[in-house]
Amino acid sequence: MVGIDRRLLQNVDWPLLGATVCLVALSATTLATLSVGRAGTGIALRQIAWFGLGLIALLVVASIDYRRLVRIAPMLYLVGLIVLLTLFVFGRTVSGARRWLLVGPISVQPSELFKLCFVLMVVWLLSTRWAQPVGKAVLVVAAPLALVPAVLIVKQPDLGTALLLFPVLIVLLIAAGMRLRILGGLVLMGLAAAPLAWIALKDYQRDRILVFLDPLRDPLGRAYNVIQAKIAIGSGQLLGKGVAGATQSRLAFLPERHTDFIFAVFAETWGFVGCLVLLTCYALLLLRGFDIAASTREPVGRLVALGVTALVSTQVLVNVGMVTGLIPVVGIPLPFMSYGGSSMVVSMMALGLLLSVRMRQFQ
Amino acid sequence: MNLGYLGGPMPGRPDPGRRRVLAFAVIVSVALLTIVCQLWYLQVLEGGRFQEASDKNRIRVRPIAAPRGILFDRNGLPLVDNRPAFTLSLIPRELDRDPVQRDVTLGRLASLLQIPFADLQDAVAKVSPDSILPVRVRRGLSMDDVAKVEEWKLELPGVIVEVEPQRAYPNSRFAAHLLGYVREASDEQLKGGRYRRGDMVGQTGLERLLDEFLRGKDGGERIEVDAMGRQIRLVQSTEPHPGAQVITTVDRRVQEVAEKAMEGKAGAIVVMDPRNGDVLAMVSTPSFQIDRFTGTIDRNAWLRVMQDPNHPLLNRTIQSMYPPGSVFKLVVAAAGLQEGTLTPSDRVSCQGEFQLGTRTFRDWKKEGHGSVDLMKGIRDSCDVYFYNAGLKVGAPSMAKWALAFGLGTATGLDFGSEKPGLIPQPKMSRKGKPVSWHAGETVNMSIGQGQVLVTPIQVARMMAAIANGGVLWKPRLVQRIERPEKGVVWGDAGSVTGHVDLSPVVFAFLRQSLWAVVNDGGTGVAARIPGLDIAGKTGTAQTVANSKSEKGQDHAWFAAFAPVKDPEVVVVVLVERGGHGGSAAAPIARQIFNTIFLEKVAFAAFGG
Repeated sequence: MVGIDRRLLQNVDWPLLGATVCLVALSATTLATLSVGRAGTGIALRQIAWFGLGLIALLVVASIDYRRLVRIAPMLYLVGLIVLLTLFVFGRTVSGARRWLLVGPISVQPSELFKLCFVLMVVWLLSTRWAQPVGKAVLVVAAPLALVPAVLIVKQPDLGTALLLFPVLIVLLIAAGMRLRILGGLVLMGLAAAPLAWIALKDYQRDRILVFLDPLRDPLGRAYNVIQAKIAIGSGQLLGKGVAGATQSRLAFLPERHTDFIFAVFAETWGFVGCLVLLTCYALLLLRGFDIAASTREPVGRLVALGVTALVSTQVLVNVGMVTGLIPVVGIPLPFMSYGGSSMVVSMMALGLLLSVRMRQFQ
Repeated sequence: MNLGYLGGPMPGRPDPGRRRVLAFAVIVSVALLTIVCQLWYLQVLEGGRFQEASDKNRIRVRPIAAPRGILFDRNGLPLVDNRPAFTLSLIPRELDRDPVQRDVTLGRLASLLQIPFADLQDAVAKVSPDSILPVRVRRGLSMDDVAKVEEWKLELPGVIVEVEPQRAYPNSRFAAHLLGYVREASDEQLKGGRYRRGDMVGQTGLERLLDEFLRGKDGGERIEVDAMGRQIRLVQSTEPHPGAQVITTVDRRVQEVAEKAMEGKAGAIVVMDPRNGDVLAMVSTPSFQIDRFTGTIDRNAWLRVMQDPNHPLLNRTIQSMYPPGSVFKLVVAAAGLQEGTLTPSDRVSCQGEFQLGTRTFRDWKKEGHGSVDLMKGIRDSCDVYFYNAGLKVGAPSMAKWALAFGLGTATGLDFGSEKPGLIPQPKMSRKGKPVSWHAGETVNMSIGQGQVLVTPIQVARMMAAIANGGVLWKPRLVQRIERPEKGVVWGDAGSVTGHVDLSPVVFAFLRQSLWAVVNDGGTGVAARIPGLDIAGKTGTAQTVANSKSEKGQDHAWFAAFAPVKDPEVVVVVLVERGGHGGSAAAPIARQIFNTIFLEKVAFAAFGG
């Protein structure tokens, strides 16, 4: 498919990979301390297996020239949309949401994979000659690119993933040179449309927002997650309770503790100091991503690197922000930490794209 | 973090896109710092509070109620026991902080078990919301109720079902006055600060007297639970300390027989050992259902007992005062013989009535007793003989010896409110003559009527003194109190409160006369048991009040001891409005003697 010359290997970003390995190691140890359902400690091993698979995906993606991927982006995007549509027919329902598609023995979450297709698609649009200079016309075309899949994903329902698409789009538009004034107008329009969105939201989604505004509304119901997560994090204090003492997690007071709320488990176990270590890893990873985007003079590569970094950044910030009670609860996994095959493989593929840009920035 | 331009400078070509990328990096960094600040706030500044919340989440305190001490009879038989019962309790600390949520929980509980919602709210309002001590809301839950609460456990945070030992009695009315009932501490008792809300406290009888010994020390467990409320492990456990065991002087067998003998009658029985003052039985009827008073009694049942015209809560052995009737003649005889105002050979001719000035005093026997000496006067309870004797002895002397026998003074049983009784004492002028006292009063007093009032336990103490040669024992109900690990913590060897200083000859004469009452054709013949020398005195006390009793207006007394040589047992029976002592009270005493001396009597009956 591609020839990998020595020059490419020399430019592999080892700090980026190092931070990732650290995060996966922390994830595995945290999962190992949780005995979730029948899976038991096997869940940690499975996470490592997913990481292995993700590593292969990373190598494959990194070895392909990202420009070729951008070239076929419209096709990838279309296929992605079709898969999202078929979910409504063949989707596997877990706890009321049709997010999964059975592929052989494993269930895949197509919306995860679609996020990368979306990034490539937006980059493709912005790098066409038609789009220069990036202005209102581009916005008119780009907005439906995000809206259509967002509606499909919201209907699964998976509000978190759907909302992810918009920050990524905005970041890419800005980076491509769109004037901030135009985007400012867009944001104002969005605010004006907020009441309409409120009507469109499902009851439980509205509840989540209300509960964020007033956690005591329903302490045993909707706000339970938020309260228990705060208790878990807070009770970790400076140095944490250790594996044996992390009662919030071990005694199952914390919901979804191996997936969306894994940060709370980690915070309870290792305390503020542990959190600093974890967040340093993420900072290293994300700033490295921005560094790649900044140091690449090739415009397509820069947009790909920035789009991917924006995607991962948003996920990290939204997840940790919601678990620590800074923003309302939206179901988004914490990249590399939360248990889940799709999330792990897609995050690794995102890194693959970053590496791909990095390795080719001096060509 | 080095964000420098690593790709090598390309001078002269501005790169606006790069500046925008760096701006995003700054935004993300600021967001990460915000998260660090939030973590600092949650984990370091507020960490202690959340640690507490986390402990509250997982640690549940489960009290283990200590069983109350058990009361035993003198032979080691239990007078009262414990059985496990279910109690519904609220743990304030585990209830929801939010008043609205808390009321939702209480409302759910109220509708589940049909408890008034206000009761639950009151119970919670009276204690600190931080308390980990259970507030006992309802005792004696049925298995159905327990199942309901367990089923709804997750929706009822802070609500638990405790297993609490509760009093169990041999039968519903057994020794009700003697033992007393146990109930939750009243508001007044709580004010003293010795009890917690929901504590079971002895309210009457021995349960009240010995409450501090009988009550144990509750233990408790701290358990760790998971989010489903399932127990994960025991964090800490404190064993409950059961209350002390009380060995009383009561003989359960005698108590049961005495109670049975009094069934359907109002009155009192005291059975006492004249050698040491031990109370073998103490019966007051009508009684109340002691088991229904335990725990939470509904208000209507309580009012019904309180307003019962027969006063079932009254302990008639110590709290009711009666005229002693002819039993008092023993005092007159003793006083006269000791002071020389009477001799055994003094004779009176009884024609059935006695004239004092214009007043006529009748004998209980219309046709009279004929020629009567002192012993016959006692044996046949001749009123006319004692009208004369009383005038000879005089009211001050009668009062003096009545007091010497312990009549008119409380026996000091420390038991509820013991009534002292009354012995009228004429005031003396300087010349030694009674002031504002009529001779008629002396006449009335000489047969135990008029103002003379005594309690059954006083009569028992007096009979014991006649039996044992003059020793006034303080009635003893408790021999000793033992704790399992410490042995005897309290003991009572018995105490003598006074001596009746009569000549032994006088005692011998009284005992001889009392023997004749039962065994020589006297008024107490109904108490006679062949083979057992019983000595006793009947009494028929006239009452002023009207009664619809078929048997009449009179209280029937029989006070006795046996055997005459070396007396072991004193039995005093009082039947309110029972009629004649000889016919109403003496047969009851006979049943009791029969029970106590069963073997001896059987032995004699078979010619041994």
